[in-house]
Amino acid sequence: MLQVEALVKSFDDFMAVNRASLAVEKGEIVAVIGPNGAGKTTLFNLITGLLKSDGGKIIFKGEDISKLPPYEICKKGIARSFQIVNIFPRLTVFGNVQVAVLSHQRKSSHLFRPAQSMVIEETKDILKTVGLLEKAKNIAGSLSHGDQKILEIAIALGNEPELLILDEPTAGMSPEETLATIELIKRLASLRGLTILFCEHDMDIVFSIAQSIMVMRQGRTIIQGNPEEVKNNKEVQEAYLGGE
Amino acid sequence: MFKEIIHSKWFVPVIALFIALLLLPFFAARFYVYIIALIFVTSLLAMSLNLVVGHGGMYQFHHGVFYGVGAYTLALILKKTSLAVWVGFIAGPIMAAIIGLIIGWFCVRLTRLYFGMLQISLGSLIWVIVFRWYSFTGGDDGIPGIPIPPILSSSKNSYYFILTLFAICLILMYLILKSPFGATLQAIRDNTQRCEAVGIHVRRHQLIAIVIATFFAGVAGVLFVVLERSVFPDLLFWVLSLEMFIMILLGGWFTFAGPIMGTAIIVALRTFVGKYTEYWTLILGILLILLIFFLPEGVMGYFQKVFKPRTGEVAKGNGG
Amino acid sequence: MDFLAFSSQFLVGLSRAMILFVVCAGLSFVLGVLRVPNIAHGSLYMIGAFATFTLTKFIAGSTGFWIALIVAPLLVALISLIAERALFCHLYQREHLMLLLFTFALSLIVGDLVKIVWGAEYRSVSAPALLRGSLSLFGASLPRYNLFLIIIGPLVAIALWLFTNRTKIGKISRAAAVDREMVGVLGINVSWVFAIAFVLGCYLAGLGGALIAPTVNVTLGMDHSLIIEAFLIVTIGGLGNMWGALVGSLIFGVTQSLGVLIWPQFAIVLPYAAVVIVLLLRPKGLLKSVW
Repeated sequence: MLQVEALVKSFDDFMAVNRASLAVEKGEIVAVIGPNGAGKTTLFNLITGLLKSDGGKIIFKGEDISKLPPYEICKKGIARSFQIVNIFPRLTVFGNVQVAVLSHQRKSSHLFRPAQSMVIEETKDILKTVGLLEKAKNIAGSLSHGDQKILEIAIALGNEPELLILDEPTAGMSPEETLATIELIKRLASLRGLTILFCEHDMDIVFSIAQSIMVMRQGRTIIQGNPEEVKNNKEVQEAYLGGE
Repeated sequence: MFKEIIHSKWFVPVIALFIALLLLPFFAARFYVYIIALIFVTSLLAMSLNLVVGHGGMYQFHHGVFYGVGAYTLALILKKTSLAVWVGFIAGPIMAAIIGLIIGWFCVRLTRLYFGMLQISLGSLIWVIVFRWYSFTGGDDGIPGIPIPPILSSSKNSYYFILTLFAICLILMYLILKSPFGATLQAIRDNTQRCEAVGIHVRRHQLIAIVIATFFAGVAGVLFVVLERSVFPDLLFWVLSLEMFIMILLGGWFTFAGPIMGTAIIVALRTFVGKYTEYWTLILGILLILLIFFLPEGVMGYFQKVFKPRTGEVAKGNGG
Repeated sequence: MDFLAFSSQFLVGLSRAMILFVVCAGLSFVLGVLRVPNIAHGSLYMIGAFATFTLTKFIAGSTGFWIALIVAPLLVALISLIAERALFCHLYQREHLMLLLFTFALSLIVGDLVKIVWGAEYRSVSAPALLRGSLSLFGASLPRYNLFLIIIGPLVAIALWLFTNRTKIGKISRAAAVDREMVGVLGINVSWVFAIAFVLGCYLAGLGGALIAPTVNVTLGMDHSLIIEAFLIVTIGGLGNMWGALVGSLIFGVTQSLGVLIWPQFAIVLPYAAVVIVLLLRPKGLLKSVW
């Protein structure tokens, strides 16, 4: 579904991404791991159009999306949550997700119909899936950090994506919240048929749900393969797994 | 939605206020009728600014240009042509919106401070042209004695005309803010990057918001002419544009009706204080400083925090 | 158009550009370090001019002007320091819009204070004896004062450059412009850096006011008309960039004075039009902004 080939991105002299590659099959759960500074977030930014690459290709469902702006890529079926919480703090939880749903249904520009009565079912449905329905009327900025990260995912779901990219979805969460989030990711993959690409620092999570793992180091792809292959790979072991 | 409005706690006070305003000319002196009408016109202008600033998060530093363009368009049509009055009434806001579209198109390509500085630059060009083109626009004298049709020239009739248009514009703005467009606009204010990631064409959305806001500013300009029968280049000067910021700040720029309250206070203060001293600007400056330090969410914002704590502290979100 | 008229107008424009540069360098510096356009800049410029008037009135003869040239900017710097330490510095954690509105409030207050202290009449200041009259160069008559300004401008530019590139404080200011958090992390008191930058910028505004005093009527409203021009210049130059302020001032000053030869009634529109053209082509300014 998604293919990244020899992607390159440098900031002045620093090579953030150095001919990285990635392959994601439909329905898979794929993880990208690597030490800090390996280029994971930059890679995600490139895929979702927040950054323009200096070389290489990004192909989604057979189409080259390397040069598209973020809102176009979103319309193609890719949605993403952010590592640092990136919500709409002054809107309600409901409002946060509603914006995404409205955008997906191309209703963002409707001028005179009251938004409150639109897309209620779809928004509530998403909030129920992620478990935030009771807090729907709360102001997003007042939620706990863990809930805000879940709201992150909910907003991404508002676009009804085919590929969901999650950037460190459990960062800063308590153990219970982390478990709940893992369950959520599993549910999203199985019940909703979503293809999921995520990056994480917590190896337990990665090895428990990922079907394919891509390892990055200093902007390069060391290897991509199933968990067994990755665990046994010498370069990965020496670079990374021992110290984490 | 209408059920919600009727049951909200604002409904009865607003209706009562509206009725009081309708009856005002019958029991108040001409001067007060004039002041209230002036408050309507200026509030409409402030509301239109807040559409872009408080709800849209853009640094609209030279909104006065569109106000002035609307006013001057009507003034020039009435004074220099023999076109019907209603042509002027329609041309004013449309002209303002066109200028808004042009200036806005250049400004949305930039963000925040650059947006604001570019707008001041482009707006100042228009100001300087109006200021200098003595033969066409009257230069720094402005255009006095604009012929308003007799039916609107009495104090009462102009008051009702202004009140009606003000009310209509308010209702339109309310609907717009409650619509998906408005919700998306506020989301853009809160987090532009997230909106792009969610599939929203941010620049286009912002530009539409600017055109709408400048259209309403043009309406305010037209109403100004009806009230004052004259226009001056000061309407297009940057000082007025920034004074408007004080009005929306004072009232509370994240609320719907905040700008009206802020404008009413400022206009009332200015009229009252003006009787005792010529140093109103000094007082306005001090007021602004007090506002910045002690009441940054404005009067309405303060009341909201005090009376609506159950939905949680409003986070210190990015103001723009 | 004959060469003499052209060259003398050109020099007039150049000297005007130098005053604009002195003022805009200050504005640009504050903009670069604090990331806030100082709207009170015009009002402080006006105080510089009025203070020069008072000093030249009380100190007879030409020495009055030279003393004013030193004292007036210092007075303005003092006023800005008071405003900064008493009020402004408490706002540094707030959103930029608040800082901008504070400087607007300051400009309102200062504008009226000038009215209270000096009244509303026009004042005039005469240039010192040394700089009166004109020199004759290649048949053209060049006012000495203008030549003086043309020399002062580059001197200020060099002094500023030395400050930001060779002194410790200057280098820290430049760093704070680009990354204030980092500077704070390094243990430097960012608040003081801002104070110094703000006061320096305002000093330059006062200096500009003192320099322009002998050439124009010193009046209320000087602040308003200057601040538009200063904003435009700083915007086309590149926000925070001192050389940009120089380029912008040159464009503005020279376009206006040469415009008088082409289209007298609308000469003032030409620099604005030049600004618009620059901005259409390079919306972020001609030179790189500091941030």
